[in-house]
Amino acid sequence: MIERLLLFAENRYARLVLVGLMVLTLQTTVFNDVRPFGVCLQVMVLLAASAGLARGSDVGAIGGFIIGLLYDLVLTTPMGLCAAVFAIVGYLAGVGQSLVYAPTWWTRMLLGSIASAIGMILLPIASTVTGATGILNAHVLFVALIVGLFNAVLSVPAERLCRWALTEPAAVR
Amino acid sequence: MADLSFTRRRAILLLSLTSVILITMDLRGSSIINFTRSAFGVVFRPIESATKVVTRPIGNAWNGMTHYNDVVKENHRLNDLVAFSEGSTISAIASVREAQELLSLNGLPTLAGIASCTAQVVGQSPSNFTQTVEINRGSECGLKVGMPVLNAAGMIGKITDVYNKRSVVMLLTDPGYSLAVKIVNLPAPTTTTTGAPGATVGDTTTTTSSTTTTTLPRVTTTTGIPGFVPGATIATSSTLAPLPGEVTVPAEDVGPNQPGKSTNSEITVPPGLDVPLRETGALEGRGISRNPIVRFVENQPRFGAVRIGSPIISAGGATSLAPPDIVIGSVSRVVNRTGTLGPILEVTLAANLKNLNFVRILLYQPSSERVIAP
Repeated sequence: MIERLLLFAENRYARLVLVGLMVLTLQTTVFNDVRPFGVCLQVMVLLAASAGLARGSDVGAIGGFIIGLLYDLVLTTPMGLCAAVFAIVGYLAGVGQSLVYAPTWWTRMLLGSIASAIGMILLPIASTVTGATGILNAHVLFVALIVGLFNAVLSVPAERLCRWALTEPAAVR
Repeated sequence: MADLSFTRRRAILLLSLTSVILITMDLRGSSIINFTRSAFGVVFRPIESATKVVTRPIGNAWNGMTHYNDVVKENHRLNDLVAFSEGSTISAIASVREAQELLSLNGLPTLAGIASCTAQVVGQSPSNFTQTVEINRGSECGLKVGMPVLNAAGMIGKITDVYNKRSVVMLLTDPGYSLAVKIVNLPAPTTTTTGAPGATVGDTTTTTSSTTTTTLPRVTTTTGIPGFVPGATIATSSTLAPLPGEVTVPAEDVGPNQPGKSTNSEITVPPGLDVPLRETGALEGRGISRNPIVRFVENQPRFGAVRIGSPIISAGGATSLAPPDIVIGSVSRVVNRTGTLGPILEVTLAANLKNLNFVRILLYQPSSERVIAP
């Protein structure tokens, strides 16, 4: 039993779920209260982008999907919507990282910021596709800009957190 | 390399398919998805509540830094408003009671006869694209999807998700919100003329009757509630000159249904009253940064031009989710359109949706949805 529990804990996606839950509590509490320029900061999308930055596009897509699914559980949007969008964000962040010759901290910041902003633009588009009305307007760009800027600040620690969570089990041992 | 590409394609395909299946299931109201959300809520809420206690000082510090000046200004404004409102409150309460008595005497439904449940707002949506709040009452209190939610100022939204001990309220500003409403058009703003006979002051107006001519000083009367003058009745006469001190209203300034004046209609309006006209429309939310609008207002000449400040109240009806006569707000802007297209009205909500605390949920179901006992 304990052996199985340890095996589960060693799984990198299980660790990502636990990290995701922690960040989700911060998202629904402190980042829900702190709204610079009236915009709710989105650290969940940053986590999805960081998964891609830390471990590449494939792991980023799966990690983004898991994080999006967690976020879907507390939102009123259709289940799977954030999962799909965050999977794209994680994938794009991973692809972007692979295109950089020698990644540095500031390139990660830039990529995390851009991926977050893309996520904030894709989310209302996806909502509109699923039937929501009136949310696709110029305000989306403002939200994307603010979220991108603030996520740039937080992207380095988020990327380190994801790098740790998504480490291969052998490396952990 | 080809193997890796195949694995990647398969993974992406799998993720896409899963998303599509989940979205489809949720949009079709799958009970599995609802159960998963509910179960996750049961596990996650205590963790969230604990985190909220720990992180509250951070939020308070941020709000203190960014909103201090606004709060001080708001406090001054509210103090003025309270002082201003106290005078008219007693008259308003008396009017409401009389209206309720009249409605009950005539067997018409009133809000007082609808059971309600009080709840507290415990959280808001962390999304930038949906305007919802969470309250700490659920199905245990008898709440159902669609029930209207009010605070002391007026309607704030409707319930969209119900769990055992919590519910999600979609606010009026959400783009997905729509409700049938009534617009009560106000009579034109009146300038009353009064004063002592023979007195002459700078800006004057002259009224002439068959026997006397008096020169009266102009006095403009305004109240905080447009069209509402406690204790005042508007009576007009086109043949008699006003007595000194009597309130008069120019004939062209009163509403289209002038009291005491006969038209070809069989309906007569008793003198002493200026009954406001009502027209229906559909209220739609447009997001947190923009005021809701009212569409589908018919361009009727009888209704006349909609005035800024006209109250908006719920229309009610057999299929409407809200009972009639709940205060929603007032018209803040009128966008006229050409042809037979009616105007679009921007609405300033009576309730302040940014500071919601205690709310009341009317346990109301439209007559078309009530289960009739066998």
